[in-house]
Amino acid sequence: MTSNLLSRHAECYFWLARYLERAESLARILEAQTSFQRSGNPNNSWAWIVALYSDQENFAKKFSEPTAQNVINYYVTWLDNPSSIQSCVRAARENARALRPLISSDVWMQINDFYSRVIGLTESDFSENRLSRSCDSIKRGCYAQIGVAESTLYRDEGWPFFRLGLFIERADQTSRLLDVQFAKSATGNLNDLTMEEHARLWNVLLRSASAYHAFRRVHPRGFNPADIAHFLVFDRRLPRSLSFCAAAIQRMVNQLRTEFRLRNAQRALEHVDKFQADLQDKAKNGDLIEQLHDTNDWVQRELIDLSAELGVAFFGAEIEELEAAAPAREEPDESTARLSRSQGQSQIQSQMRS
Amino acid sequence: MATVTAFRNSGIKALLDTYDPEPSFCELLSNGAMPDPLLTRLWNRLQQFEASDLDARAKDAERELQMLGITFTVYTDRTAIDRILPFDVIPRTISAKDWRHLETGIRQRVKALNMFIWDVYHDGHILNDGTIPQELVLGNSNFQEAMVDYDPPAGTYVHISGTDLIRDNHGEFFVLEDNSRTPSGVSYVVENRHMMQRAFPDLMDGFDIEPVSDYGVQLATKLGEVAPPVLTDAQIVLLSPGVFNSAYFEHIFLAREMGVPLVEGRDLFIEDDRVFMKTVAGPRPVHVIYRRLNDDFLDPEVFNKDSMLGVPGLMRAVRKGNVTLANAVGTGIADDKAVYAYVPRMIRYYLDEEPILPNVETHICREPSALAYTLDNIEKLVVKPVGESGGYGICVGPKATKTELEECRARLKKKPEEYIAQPMINLSVSPTLVETGVEPRHVDLRPFAITGEETWVLPGGLTRVALPKGSIVVNSSQGGGTKDTWVLKGDSA
Repeated sequence: MTSNLLSRHAECYFWLARYLERAESLARILEAQTSFQRSGNPNNSWAWIVALYSDQENFAKKFSEPTAQNVINYYVTWLDNPSSIQSCVRAARENARALRPLISSDVWMQINDFYSRVIGLTESDFSENRLSRSCDSIKRGCYAQIGVAESTLYRDEGWPFFRLGLFIERADQTSRLLDVQFAKSATGNLNDLTMEEHARLWNVLLRSASAYHAFRRVHPRGFNPADIAHFLVFDRRLPRSLSFCAAAIQRMVNQLRTEFRLRNAQRALEHVDKFQADLQDKAKNGDLIEQLHDTNDWVQRELIDLSAELGVAFFGAEIEELEAAAPAREEPDESTARLSRSQGQSQIQSQMRS
Repeated sequence: MATVTAFRNSGIKALLDTYDPEPSFCELLSNGAMPDPLLTRLWNRLQQFEASDLDARAKDAERELQMLGITFTVYTDRTAIDRILPFDVIPRTISAKDWRHLETGIRQRVKALNMFIWDVYHDGHILNDGTIPQELVLGNSNFQEAMVDYDPPAGTYVHISGTDLIRDNHGEFFVLEDNSRTPSGVSYVVENRHMMQRAFPDLMDGFDIEPVSDYGVQLATKLGEVAPPVLTDAQIVLLSPGVFNSAYFEHIFLAREMGVPLVEGRDLFIEDDRVFMKTVAGPRPVHVIYRRLNDDFLDPEVFNKDSMLGVPGLMRAVRKGNVTLANAVGTGIADDKAVYAYVPRMIRYYLDEEPILPNVETHICREPSALAYTLDNIEKLVVKPVGESGGYGICVGPKATKTELEECRARLKKKPEEYIAQPMINLSVSPTLVETGVEPRHVDLRPFAITGEETWVLPGGLTRVALPKGSIVVNSSQGGGTKDTWVLKGDSA
């Protein structure tokens, strides 16, 4: 079969899914934080979320203190934060608009509806009492969006790109979440936590990944951080685990190579195969908790490299861009991940501002 | 006035009882004509609706258009505001007989325009023998040197055209304007019909209406006819300036209806004077481009050097015959305001036929007798400059002050070749749902014709309606909306 899918449209599919998944993850984290907050530790600050996304610099441009309201504003309504929920949903809609000739009317109508609801949310919708409810509504909007895509999108080459965006973003988000320990210690208040609070933190992490009950079924007794971390990284049945995401990514790249016969997929396929193998190796190696931060760094680097490779192979990115992304090996964080966004996306962003 | 009375005497006091189109010609009542049985049936059907029910369904329809994104988009700093074109739920009707007349007239006109453009870019007979003033065409900013001696497949330059028609108080159709570059609006024709089918099955039931939904199939077929000779099926694409163009919705619509890729300039490139698009499987050849981009932006090598929207080298590929552009470059010479006045002469010149659809009577002031008439009757006429200055400098005689008329006379005497003059024409009306019920509002009609080897005309076309009371300006920027346009099958009186 011959492909007529434009490189630009493939990239839009990829980013449509990424932005949706990113919005959903943010809603999950903010919701989890409120429940942790309610558990009553006065020392518990919101600064760790800013650290989680390595957003300290950009955050400081607008806000002086990481108070609950400031952090919420930054991640929900502040449009100068390209990763705020409203920015993400808006960017998702702009990608959908560019894809409008290809996507189903159902997907388009759903995202119009979702966008108008999300953009209509104001600060008061995220006051302490309503934050949880608003986050829940955003999550459900994302589920509906992914669901209507699943139900109605034609399964041409666009579909694997949509799924790749979804699972690459999800893997990235899960690895960030797993790094919460590190983020917390970076903000200096981890040592203030009691053992009990520590356990509660892991509890919140599990719940924010919708994984609490599944974990309980696999581990009916005990509740130790090592088991939880292992579950979130390696469990192949948990839709938000790194292993699950890696397998899905591998399947999609493989589909591009074999079913759609895209030669350019070869290099990405080799990369994904190696990533998957290395991840399984780590499952066999000793103390995950000890190596958790390094593992997360490694995962995020791999995802950035893979995205850059997809950019060169399919989205028309120049080779230089791949090399420009190389310094990311030193310090993988959100800002370098943003740099790896290809030209097309930065164009969508900048045109929206002009 | 038999018709109004006949309807009134039907005994039902309802929706249209206070409707009075006089002195305008009403599309539904066909003033003065024998009552048409189909239109009578529609009138009686409408009478059974409550205004509140119509209104509620109209609001639902508008919400649906919004949800479907059948919109113009207005971008500001932080937001994208999607506006829908107001949609009036009472359809505009055209009888089978009127439609046959319009269809033949449009075919004739499009044919003459294509022959004219071919002539201008080749031998220039019509200019050399003085039938049309040479400087009017060759000095026109829409004349494109790059098209000289180029031979488009099937001799077709204007593949997609929209002809703006109006009707006077007697119901006679006139051509107001030809649109031979990138006419827009056809998406509303099809979407309005779909909307009516969803929202008003009870109004449509029992009427045999010419379908409009095969526009995309017809378009793809006709564009296929003008493809350069290739081994396999020609690859057609739709070239759009992008999501920020206000007509982006229509570009999507056309690409979807034809099942072809919607590309932007950055998706295409030229190699060995051939056009390729960048896909995930690598470069793929392109043979026909339905471009919704003005000439100036198409190729920075030939036209506007700063254009980021076009494709460098595109005109080389065109001239080599490796790709066909629809519409061709340089068709603007055929829909210029001044050239418009000569179209009836073109029809006689090339086809040796009388024009089926008349122009609005136009006095070409460069001709001494026309100038004399215009100067004598200036208070009754609309005097328009023919240049590219758009609406600038129009003098509406019946509404102008004495001083303005004198100034206009002075301008005319100084440079008569820059002006044309036309009588004031009242537009026909169609019953339209407004806040106070159903009232007459002025309408025009833009049928769309597609030409490959032959011309096909989409039955009906876009009806634009001027929503403010008394207004004859149908443009969307000035309170214009649209209506579904029904060409009723079957003969009536």
